[in-house]
Amino acid sequence: MKRMNWLGLGFLAPALLVIALFFLAPVIMTGFFAFTNMSTATGITGGDYMLNKSALRALGDAGLPDATLEKLEDAGYAVDEKGLAALAAQIDQETADEFARLHGGESFATRRDVERALKDLRQNRIRKTRDRKAAAELFKRSVLNERFGTEAEFRAALTAGGIAPRDHDQITAQAYTGWVWTTENVELLFTLPSTWRYAANTAIYVAFTLSFNVGFGLFLAISTFYLPAAQAATFRAIWFLPRILPPVLYVLMWKWFTWDTGFLSTVTGWFGMSPKNWMLDSPTHAWTTIVLINGFVGASMGMILFASAIRAIPASMLHASEVDGANRWQQVRYIILPQLRWPILFTTAYQTLSLLTSFEYILLATDGGPGRATEVWALAAYHTALNNYGGNLQYGLGAAFALVLVIIGILASLFYLRLFNFRQLVGKPLIEG
Amino acid sequence: MQLDLIGFTKRFDGTPVVSGMDLSVASGEMIALLGPSGCGKSTTLFAICGIHRIDEGRLMFGERDVSGLPSQRRNVGVVFQNYALYPHMSVFDNIAFPLKVQKADKDQIRRRVGEMAELVHIETLLDRRPAQLSGGQQQRVALARALVRNPDVLLLDEPLANLDAKLRLEMRSEIRRIQQETGLTAILVTHDQVEAMSMCDRIALMNNGRIVQIDGPTRMYRDPMDKFVASFLGNPPISFVTPEDLPCFGAPKACAEIGLRPEHVGPQFGTGLTGEVRFVETQGREDLFDIALPSGRMIRSVQPAGSGLRPGQTVDWGYDAAELLCFDRQEVRL
Amino acid sequence: MRHNYRNWPILLVLGIFSTPLLIMLVFQVVDSFTLKQPGSLIPSGFTLEHFRFLWEELDTGRAGIWRVTLNTFIFATTTATVVTAIALTAGYALSRLNFPARGFFLAGLIVLHAFPTVTLIIAIFLILQILGLYDTLIGVIIVKTALELPFGIWIMKGFYDTVPWEIEMAGVQDGASRLRVWWQLVLPQVQPGLMAILIFSFLSGWSEFILPLVLAPGSDAQVLATYMQALILDDTKADFDLFKAVGLFYALPVVVIYVIFQNKLMNIYGGGSKG
Repeated sequence: MKRMNWLGLGFLAPALLVIALFFLAPVIMTGFFAFTNMSTATGITGGDYMLNKSALRALGDAGLPDATLEKLEDAGYAVDEKGLAALAAQIDQETADEFARLHGGESFATRRDVERALKDLRQNRIRKTRDRKAAAELFKRSVLNERFGTEAEFRAALTAGGIAPRDHDQITAQAYTGWVWTTENVELLFTLPSTWRYAANTAIYVAFTLSFNVGFGLFLAISTFYLPAAQAATFRAIWFLPRILPPVLYVLMWKWFTWDTGFLSTVTGWFGMSPKNWMLDSPTHAWTTIVLINGFVGASMGMILFASAIRAIPASMLHASEVDGANRWQQVRYIILPQLRWPILFTTAYQTLSLLTSFEYILLATDGGPGRATEVWALAAYHTALNNYGGNLQYGLGAAFALVLVIIGILASLFYLRLFNFRQLVGKPLIEG
Repeated sequence: MQLDLIGFTKRFDGTPVVSGMDLSVASGEMIALLGPSGCGKSTTLFAICGIHRIDEGRLMFGERDVSGLPSQRRNVGVVFQNYALYPHMSVFDNIAFPLKVQKADKDQIRRRVGEMAELVHIETLLDRRPAQLSGGQQQRVALARALVRNPDVLLLDEPLANLDAKLRLEMRSEIRRIQQETGLTAILVTHDQVEAMSMCDRIALMNNGRIVQIDGPTRMYRDPMDKFVASFLGNPPISFVTPEDLPCFGAPKACAEIGLRPEHVGPQFGTGLTGEVRFVETQGREDLFDIALPSGRMIRSVQPAGSGLRPGQTVDWGYDAAELLCFDRQEVRL
Repeated sequence: MRHNYRNWPILLVLGIFSTPLLIMLVFQVVDSFTLKQPGSLIPSGFTLEHFRFLWEELDTGRAGIWRVTLNTFIFATTTATVVTAIALTAGYALSRLNFPARGFFLAGLIVLHAFPTVTLIIAIFLILQILGLYDTLIGVIIVKTALELPFGIWIMKGFYDTVPWEIEMAGVQDGASRLRVWWQLVLPQVQPGLMAILIFSFLSGWSEFILPLVLAPGSDAQVLATYMQALILDDTKADFDLFKAVGLFYALPVVVIYVIFQNKLMNIYGGGSKG
């Protein structure tokens, strides 16, 4: 029935709208942004047209004739409102008024001409040569360092400055201060040595944390399984806390534990060791802390998943193995672990992806330090685009970093879809229209 | 191996489930723990194999006191109701498991598994996974796994409950055959009296955490110790009337109730006893009648098919006086 | 409990592994309320002085704690409410209604559910700037809602799936419209799911750090997470007792909810949250 279709879509519409705007759009936009040179300098909405010294130098390097460059820099002198206002400010209003009366709207080719005109003022002659020079300079008109809102205005100014039309395109492109499309970011990713460093860091981070998560999650699930209900519940509750506590607070507890005014230093202080920052004093310590911080959180997910999988094993099967003579290790090894294959695979797959892209705990704990020792890929993307010490945030390059993760994320999600039996999840609704 | 359970008590959260139970199983004997659900028969079985702790009492395998030993060191073989085969292992590995955890050498394992497979007739299935087997085949695998270690005692927990009627018949005799071939002391837990009677040398009938009566099947059926035993055994079940319903029967003074088995009651002229046929159930070989007595009590009768009686009809009926069972007010047999 | 094996070796190993975590948790609470001599871990007296941030300005240029708490509360409750409301309808559509491209939407949902959302933060930052929602609470709320939705819908769909469809069939047979059947017959059945998503999204919003940090760094839209982190980074000498008191204040609602809904929460997180 047609009506039913509309009801379904109507029910879905709000979700679709929000998700499309802030979920799908960002995915696509990441792809776009990665191929721009957006940064704090270029802005993100578009730009003005302005030539500065370095742009001029770049044009020169690009082969623009010196004569043209000179014209760009020095487009003659004109007695206009702006110059007169400056003159009034520098000398006095009367001088400016008289100069306007005599030469208003005129143009001069060189500074000498302007100086002469200034010298020839009747009532308010500027006597000192140095003052005249400075005053003449006020009327200098140049495309250089002037901001134009639109391309048309800029081109008009070029024409007025007597620049040959064939050079306009090149100069306009150079003068544009907004962002442009570029593949530079991708090239940078491949050529910067730090990129490979971040990739290696990420591999270390994921490998160690994942092993800890799965291994320790298994340990927690299996060990609490063997305990009486009350004890098991206590340990599960304790180990679930790292996941439920706000990350900022959780990491603060670690900082207290490891920093030079914290627990470890206090305890080692009793044995005469001088206090030190156990988290940041060496890359090894930093990595250990990072893995533990993430691992304590990740293990709880494994713990819950594995514990429910163990509970799903029929009790008689465990009884049977005990009667068959298996000791605890053999029961774990031969009966429990083989039946946890799927939960383990699922957790591994899921956490690989989320670890690959997560940086929250690292950002809070070491912020990539010491040096760049614990800077992982996702954190590098964040630092490049959203928070670096240089001040110029490179959105484009950061997006290129992120794009790599987005692509991995999409591929991995599709892979899970296949792995975990999509058809079963998408069974037809029981009531149909 | 002789098995003795002496003064066994098991509590869950302080509530006794089995209290002060004594059970003695002779070497090579197969005994059934029979009773309604919740009577403590499975608890007893789990205590014998060590899955439940024995709170009070002793468990002896021959001269060996195994009360405090964990399951692993009791050397019992157990067949569970759902077989509890390990789904991720092949049939061979399932059967080999008890030997493997003992770190037996490979040749010995192969030989022993081969023997067991031959004993339970599954030689061709060794490479399969449990999920690829029928219920009866799984049952055989479970048996083989229970037997592979040469256990002192074989314990069977409702082994036939998950099989369909035809397979149940087949496995009944198979289990009995295997038990007799191996000469093992065996305990069968069941709520099905037919199973208990057809498979076992003796039956221990349990109720409310106690053994009510231990006897051979025939003896227990014909000579029950109290009303519970009489009513639990027999299908269709026994009917109870009062002495007033049978004025011609010289019931002892203490007799409060009289039990009549259906096969000992039937239409008979000139007895002075009448009743109305209320319900007739045709079972092919036999017919089953419910007869309402003038007092309102019902008795049940089994007769060869073709009696022609119809519901609503009034009949004269009689009984086999030698087979009547009398019970006193405490429901104890007189 | 399995009595065939001993407990104490397990307790021992679990205890050893849990010690660091326990130390952190215990001192988190103890330090917030006590005074200590330098170099000692043993408290020497009770004090509320670490909670001074509640009644006095810590320093100028920082938003007051109550303003920040209100922001956090608005952020978390709005997000939770909107996510729940949208997930209620969308989950029902995906679970029960038939419409074009349903399979595609479901597949998309699963992909989004597994998709790591933090990778999108740069693009979202730029989009918010373009939309003019940068550095506003409303911007962060919308973004958090969008990122939280796939999970909410997924959980909600699961709850709808467990409602026996005979209930709806009977309702439809009785002549009620689908909309009415949903509102009057189905919704009451999925109330546990509704609660679960409300709680989960509230906690998730309350704890959120990265989004406010990147998308609303100004003091007007500050939330407790960014407030606390700024406090930790600002101080030249770390006053852990103060930080812990702030942390305790911050985590109070979380702990209360955790204590009340512990089992329910474990189930949701087990259902596949971001690892």
